Amino acid sequence: MSEARRRPALSHLFFWFLFSQGGVITALLLPVHVLIQGILGPLGIVPVVDRHYDTWINVLGNPLVKLYLLVLIMFAFFHFAHRLRYFLMDLGLHAAKTLPAQAVFYGGAVGVTLITIWILLTTAPLSFG
Amino acid sequence: MTTEAPAAPREFAWRMPGNWWTRTRHYFLYMLREFTAVPMALWLIWLLYEIKRAGNGPRGYYPPTSTAFVVFSVIVLAFALYHSYTFLKLAGVIIRVKLFDRPIPSQVIVVAMFGTWALASLVVGFVLIWFAR
Repeated sequence: MSEARRRPALSHLFFWFLFSQGGVITALLLPVHVLIQGILGPLGIVPVVDRHYDTWINVLGNPLVKLYLLVLIMFAFFHFAHRLRYFLMDLGLHAAKTLPAQAVFYGGAVGVTLITIWILLTTAPLSFG
Repeated sequence: MTTEAPAAPREFAWRMPGNWWTRTRHYFLYMLREFTAVPMALWLIWLLYEIKRAGNGPRGYYPPTSTAFVVFSVIVLAFALYHSYTFLKLAGVIIRVKLFDRPIPSQVIVVAMFGTWALASLVVGFVLIWFAR
């Protein structure tokens, strides 16, 4: 076996870590958001924090909420990037395996992360109330 | 002794018909699991948009009320639940933890993951509803 092949695949380890953590975080947290913010709130069955501007902007100003939303969205999109790439490969799109495709998918996740940081920092001023 | 250079290895491209995943139920469910990323990503992009719209001020903000949005969320919820079920169930295969030099049975790990899911859902649900007051 050549020296090049013996080197640990650190980038693979890194993206696999983000994929698996994103999978767990999405599995634990996303369904309840969809149920309450996407179904029960719009149907008027329960009061939800994003139904009124005042409560929504107040919660979004909390630094812990900002951090929570960043972790949820960032890890989820790294998970999605990995899954979608392999989904396309499974469908026979071998180009999804190439380095440019990796740059597009994981770069897309980085892009969403940066947009999320920007939105969270500019939407609501920090407040601990 | 021969002086011929060794022939370059021939590459056999692995090809599967595009519809291989429709052959059996297991293949279909596997691809369905992979596809769950698409609706979940769309819903999170909506959430991000919802957060961004809060920056427009009280006059520019209006919560979603349309039936189409609720139907979209119902579809996403089905995919999200399928992702949760398959991913957390997989934890029993992936996670190997020893306690007092004995491996914890995979069933215990799966139950712990589902318990964590229930607890996390309760906490997040409570926060989403409690802070609406």
